[in-house]
Amino acid sequence: MLFFSFFKTLVDHEVTVELKNDISIRGTLKSVDQFLNIKLDDIQVLDELKYPHLSSVKNVFIRGSVVRYVHLPAAGVDTALLEDATRREAAQQSTKPSR
Amino acid sequence: MSFFGFDTTLPRDRGHPREAPGFGEAPDPFAGFSHRGGAGGDDEALEFEDTYDGLGDQLDETDDTFNDDTFGSSGLEAPAVGKDFDFFGQTAKVSDAIHEEQLRYTRHQPAPKFAQPKAPKRTGYEKYQIPDLQASADLWGVGSKQQAPETIQQQTFIAPPTQTSAAQALPKKIMSLEEVEAAMRTQKPKPKAAQAPAPVPPSYPPFSVAQAQALAQATAPPQQQSIPAALQAQVSNVAGFPVKPPAPNQVGVDPRFSQPTPTDVPNFAAHPPQILQRPQPIPAQFSGHRGSPQPRQILQNPNRQPVQPAPYPRQFGSPAAAGGFPGAPVITNPQQLLQLSEEERAAFLIEDAKRAKRNHKIFLLSKDNGLMTPQDKNFITRIQLQQLVTATGGLNEPGSDAALSEDFYYQVHNQIRGGPRQNPNQPLGHFAQTYLFQTGGRHGGPGGRRHHRGGDNHMQRMEQQVQRAVEAAKLKPKNKQLVIEGSLGKISFSNAKTPKPLLNIKRQESSDASSRVNADKKSINVSANDRKSILRGIESVYSTLMKLEDHERQMPPPPTEESDAASVQEHLEWRREMVDLNQTLWKELKVMEPIVPKLSSPTPHPFIAFLSHGKGKKAIPRIFRHLDQEQRVTVLTMVVVHLDVLDVVRGAHLQPNEQQLPVAVREEVELFCQAVMPCLFGYVNEAPLSIVTGLLGLVIDGVNIQSVAYTKVGVGILTMLISRAELVKQAGNVNEQEWEQWTVLYNRLFDIIEPVLGSIFPVSVHSSEDMYVWQFLAAAGIGASPEQQQRLVIAVKDRVLDTVLQSKTLPADMASQRLSNVNLFMRAIGLDVELLG
Repeated sequence: MLFFSFFKTLVDHEVTVELKNDISIRGTLKSVDQFLNIKLDDIQVLDELKYPHLSSVKNVFIRGSVVRYVHLPAAGVDTALLEDATRREAAQQSTKPSR
Repeated sequence: MSFFGFDTTLPRDRGHPREAPGFGEAPDPFAGFSHRGGAGGDDEALEFEDTYDGLGDQLDETDDTFNDDTFGSSGLEAPAVGKDFDFFGQTAKVSDAIHEEQLRYTRHQPAPKFAQPKAPKRTGYEKYQIPDLQASADLWGVGSKQQAPETIQQQTFIAPPTQTSAAQALPKKIMSLEEVEAAMRTQKPKPKAAQAPAPVPPSYPPFSVAQAQALAQATAPPQQQSIPAALQAQVSNVAGFPVKPPAPNQVGVDPRFSQPTPTDVPNFAAHPPQILQRPQPIPAQFSGHRGSPQPRQILQNPNRQPVQPAPYPRQFGSPAAAGGFPGAPVITNPQQLLQLSEEERAAFLIEDAKRAKRNHKIFLLSKDNGLMTPQDKNFITRIQLQQLVTATGGLNEPGSDAALSEDFYYQVHNQIRGGPRQNPNQPLGHFAQTYLFQTGGRHGGPGGRRHHRGGDNHMQRMEQQVQRAVEAAKLKPKNKQLVIEGSLGKISFSNAKTPKPLLNIKRQESSDASSRVNADKKSINVSANDRKSILRGIESVYSTLMKLEDHERQMPPPPTEESDAASVQEHLEWRREMVDLNQTLWKELKVMEPIVPKLSSPTPHPFIAFLSHGKGKKAIPRIFRHLDQEQRVTVLTMVVVHLDVLDVVRGAHLQPNEQQLPVAVREEVELFCQAVMPCLFGYVNEAPLSIVTGLLGLVIDGVNIQSVAYTKVGVGILTMLISRAELVKQAGNVNEQEWEQWTVLYNRLFDIIEPVLGSIFPVSVHSSEDMYVWQFLAAAGIGASPEQQQRLVIAVKDRVLDTVLQSKTLPADMASQRLSNVNLFMRAIGLDVELLG
């Protein structure tokens, strides 16, 4: 849930999603769900010459399982808070062993 | 006759050899065949011996023991294979298929009788054609009051007398013309009418209903005009009705829409197949729209109420429809129409035509109306909302604590960054709703909130839906499997909170874990300062810190005079817990660990090690909030005593060939200045002079000031202490003795630091990072005696001049920045850069 929780805060921020097929798409994060499926708006493919068929695509829905990386806007991340959230998550994991 | 029915006449009997047909003759593909066929028979043109290979001689004519096995029981005679081949019988077997094919063909192709230049165009008004026939039937005086099964669907519609009960019972059955006629004869009191010249050719194939409909619709208008008046008269007379000329108003109205009048009677008579059309069209119309939805809905929600049939446009001109429009006489029976005056009828027909068009429009728009009942829609909305609720965090868990732990980052982040949630104590339901409004409401946009909605009771209903969904989720048993009645297996569901585990890794036994923790503790005691254990120590500080913060959040209302014992007790409990946590935190900080002499121990003090890590530094501001004054001064003392072993001091010396510190060190220094210094400064700013004096004494005694002075943090701490003493003095409430002590210490410090004053600046004059040094010099200058000030000026004179010169080459704003830094010092000793001219 941490990642879901985290990505929710990045809604309406610009992110770059790198897919497992090496396509990198930059766009405004519109929504994300618990499977980390991602909806991007106003997208732009980074290597447009290589993927011309995507040049006219305006928005995409990306299945979470095909995402390799998400490049985050540094300003949108509260590192200290994220650290704490991670600690909490870890604490939860350790107190609920059967999960 | 030959076996295969070939021409077996001998060549000599023929005039022309078949094998060599003339030009005009079609070649006979069997010509050669028949020739050879004769070889075994009566063809004498070929010598048997010429062609016989003698194989027959080798045959044992008597050895036919197994012939039965080979050829069947009939033996050599083989009577079953005779010449009486029943070709027709075989054909008759497929005659049905042929028949069907023919039917199919005629369906696609207009019958020659009604031959149209092109296929009938579908106008969408087909069904309005129907009443023609109903009315006709009525006019024929058929007395049957049966209700067609289809008409039941139109609740108010009482079917006119029907003609073909057989067709009603089995509307889909294809009846032959003969059957139809027979049915008519049996029903019609006036059989002559049925015998009215039916211009259907005898070879006309059995009529399919749909075909008849299509034909009728395609051909009706022209036919009406083309039917000879004589025929009309004849038929009408036969039917016993007075002959009426075509109503004049019918010219303007599309005859297909027109209410049936007696003039239509011949139309019926002329096209017997049309009578089949009447019962059929309704199912035909509906099979597309309403046939399937019902079962589908049942699948969706077995508990929903039976579906009301969607209101569909009534057939135009049907009596029921006629009864609907106001201001006109209610016409439930076409015969009533006959009694109306011309104007009334005209008005009626025009009205009807209008309504037909409107109904048709509605019909087109509402094709899928009623596919889902409101209950269905609610059901689906609930499913979606439930998904949403689980997706956005555990709404169904009591208290916001669980939710906070599940979705901590998002919630806190939103609180910090002014997200949709304004109130941290807002119940989670609001959270889900906020989410709903953000995504669902167009009116509000991302900032859309409840009060923006302006009386949108749809959203209110959605809220209620959420509430109900939550209630339902609460009531729902918590088991993770669902066995639906009648299903063959269990359905295990996962949601956002408890995803279906793909891997099931068993944790080690708890006793194991605890023993491990014990081992950890031991190892900490043994070697408290290896990197790993330091980091682990920091983490434990953090977890305690978070517990502390959580606990702080849950503070019960402080007791007042009126509060009862329970709440007072609760608060006391809370207090006690708070103190406990604080003690734990303090212990984990390890500030109170014995200070070992620096030289004798290679490893720094645990707290200093704690501070050497970035996250340790970051923790300080949060920790300080929970520390009392005594603890704070302890921390400050710890830092000051170990000033020269702090990583940000020890590691922050420039190497001889370095122009700048490494990035990592600079970041650490920056972090220390931002995180730790303000805390210390915040404390020192309130500290009495005695403590400041004591701290300065610790620094001077225990720390190598000259080396510390080269670092930003070291200079910063010195500045902090000196400036505080000066402020306390200026505030005026210091006793002489304390000030004496301070002055002694200050003089010592000045003496120690004077030799390095000129070189404690960052290396380059060009660097603008020297502000902290000027701050220190200013602080030192204020507290200095005039003689000390002189020495100060002498020590840093070069730097001052350099900086002033440098600033002249810089842009105005940067220059003024640099000069103001210098002036900070200059003014402290009563000078100004302006004087340097």
